[in-house]
Amino acid sequence: MPAEEHPNKAAFLQRVREALGRSDPLLHMPDHPTLKAALPRQEEKVRTVRARIDVLRAQNLKKLAETATAASWHVHGPIAVEEAAEVVAGIASGLRAKHVVRSTEDVFRRVNVDSALRRSGISPTVLAAGRSRGRSALKGLAFEADLGITGVSYAIAETGTCVVTPRKGIARLTSLAPPAYIALVEADQVLGNLDEYFALTRLVYQKSRGRTPTYVNFISGPSRTADIEQTLTIGVHGPGVVHMVLIA
Amino acid sequence: MAQVKSAAFKKASTRALHDQGIQHALNHVMNHFTEARASAIAADYSDESWDAMRTRAAAIKAHTIGNLDYYLDLADRSIRRNGGHVHFADDAADATRIVIDIAKRHDVKRAIKSKSMVSEEMGLNDALKRAGIDPVETDLGEYIIQLAGETPFHIIAPAMHKTREEVSDLFHDWLKSAPTSDIARLCSIAREALRKHFETAEMGITGANFVVAETGTVVIVTNEGNGRMVTSTPRVHVAICGMEKVLPAIEDLPVFLRLLPRSATGQRTTSYTSFISGPRGPSDEDGPEEFHLIFVDNGRLNLLKDEVLREALSCIRCGACLNHCPVYRKVGGHAYGWVYSGPIGAVVTGPMTGMKQAADLPFASTLCGACRDVCPVKIDLPKLLLHLRHRLAEGTGSGERAGTWMERLYIRRWHDAVKTRAALDRSTRLGRLLQKPLVRRGKVRSLPLPVISGWTKDRDFPALAPKSFGEIWRDGLGPAREPE
Ligand code: SF4
Repeated sequence: MPAEEHPNKAAFLQRVREALGRSDPLLHMPDHPTLKAALPRQEEKVRTVRARIDVLRAQNLKKLAETATAASWHVHGPIAVEEAAEVVAGIASGLRAKHVVRSTEDVFRRVNVDSALRRSGISPTVLAAGRSRGRSALKGLAFEADLGITGVSYAIAETGTCVVTPRKGIARLTSLAPPAYIALVEADQVLGNLDEYFALTRLVYQKSRGRTPTYVNFISGPSRTADIEQTLTIGVHGPGVVHMVLIA
Repeated sequence: MAQVKSAAFKKASTRALHDQGIQHALNHVMNHFTEARASAIAADYSDESWDAMRTRAAAIKAHTIGNLDYYLDLADRSIRRNGGHVHFADDAADATRIVIDIAKRHDVKRAIKSKSMVSEEMGLNDALKRAGIDPVETDLGEYIIQLAGETPFHIIAPAMHKTREEVSDLFHDWLKSAPTSDIARLCSIAREALRKHFETAEMGITGANFVVAETGTVVIVTNEGNGRMVTSTPRVHVAICGMEKVLPAIEDLPVFLRLLPRSATGQRTTSYTSFISGPRGPSDEDGPEEFHLIFVDNGRLNLLKDEVLREALSCIRCGACLNHCPVYRKVGGHAYGWVYSGPIGAVVTGPMTGMKQAADLPFASTLCGACRDVCPVKIDLPKLLLHLRHRLAEGTGSGERAGTWMERLYIRRWHDAVKTRAALDRSTRLGRLLQKPLVRRGKVRSLPLPVISGWTKDRDFPALAPKSFGEIWRDGLGPAREPE
């Protein structure tokens, strides 16, 4: 059940309208190219996008490694899927991580991070729903951890960005609260640019008849600030050390 | 609403000019901003492609604002469909009441905030304190100025006027930390102090850089990650934004996500961009149970009503016009007296808060046009400043100042003196005679006439030359004439 309409809405919109020199609401959707693109047109657009992503896969991967490095990610790979878990465990040992938390994206089925970590003497905690621990206990775990690991929905070569869509558990904090973070990116998740990402997202929205993910994050490097004397400092609220593992 | 001190612009700017700390900070930081912007743009764009993107962004904004009622309605319906609540606040007091009501309903004791310029307009922190709620700013710069009890010095670098020593003293006073001049150390002191608030606060308050109408998505751009914290850990999230922040569809976002970070901090992209479309889903264990968005008018209708000033509502608050403004670069942000400074502040403060008290601001510009050239959404700021000057001089609109009778008299006499060739020659001859006692080394040092004397207070007036160009020409310095 949607929330009720705010009592001031009608009067507020009427004043806006009058300031614009109109007295009545518009009868039709205004003529705007992105809004007007209905489902069939969007599907066509996305087909073109997908074809381009396929053709440019190698270039996009290379570009992503460059832009991500420029944005202060430590980039690993592209490496074979069998080796990815060991690489992750290697990073974790290098960071001397003790408390490791991870989320539950699909990639963890292909990359057995947990057993690789255990072999290095680290036992990871999966911050997933359905555990008997309460919410604040899980929150506490995320804040105490010294490394967080997640998969991604996409990566964007243009900006060196991982698109993270937390779904289950306390996934929002996994990539945020610990001082170090590892993102696992699979080659078929790499897009060329922002336009492609938003074209795909809009199609998903249209197809699901107006449902949209509650929370999506673009992560483009470590947390940083220049608020004191314009001096760049990393790791102010989020992770200061970020690794991107590219899986071929 | 936050107090408006713009009437004191002249005094405050003089004070800033003599404040060595402020001058040092401005000299140090402003070039840093302008250089970072220029190289970030040059790294990925040609002049033409950057310009084309600005044109596109300006067109999207103009379209959205021209149909603002439609898009606000669409955004409202989408967000409510996503399970959120939407409010429409006429002014600062309205918006404040809405926030406090929500807080009371959830029994909120502590609220954490990520940067929101509208909440600065509202003076929200003071209002929350009066209501028994403890607000904590979590953007490092905002946190510093909150501890110092000040207002932001710059839209995107609120504490740029503070030195590391001043920050260290503030932290020492408030957090009992050991004094240090190590900036990384200062950041980690703030990190530790704010962590506790992230873990315990019941309410998160943010601004919004963009609100996408079709999907009902609030977009927040940050570098520090505090925006993500504030929208992840508390039980309730309240986003507050000006009503002009809406955009039609998510596919309109890329141009803005490219323009904003490069124009603001000279980055290809900020560290984090968050897209929030309502409260947490049924299987999430973090994220707020309740999500509210407040659309605020607070004087924006006065901009919307004026067909020339309407353009100012396209502003994406990047700060580039401040960084490139020769006036801002000398007087800094506080002199402007309210929340917004620099060219955009000089445009919006009067219409939003009352022209009378902000009447000096439109004149605080050389009209050099640097602001217009860098504005990512191509706002013609000099045109808007001139328009405001015109409004002030003509006295149109309530509370605005018509010229004094003395000014009108001068203008009439001036008109008589120059309106024909013969009149101009006559007045020039008279002027040469009258200026005699005032001229020293080719300059008039002071004009002892009411109103006009202000002109020579800080500068000299060039004396009328003994011969005008026309006279020199007639006397044979013109091009050789054909022999007759
Ligand atoms: S007016 Fe233009 S340049 Fe100035 S802050 Fe707004 S968007 Fe940026």
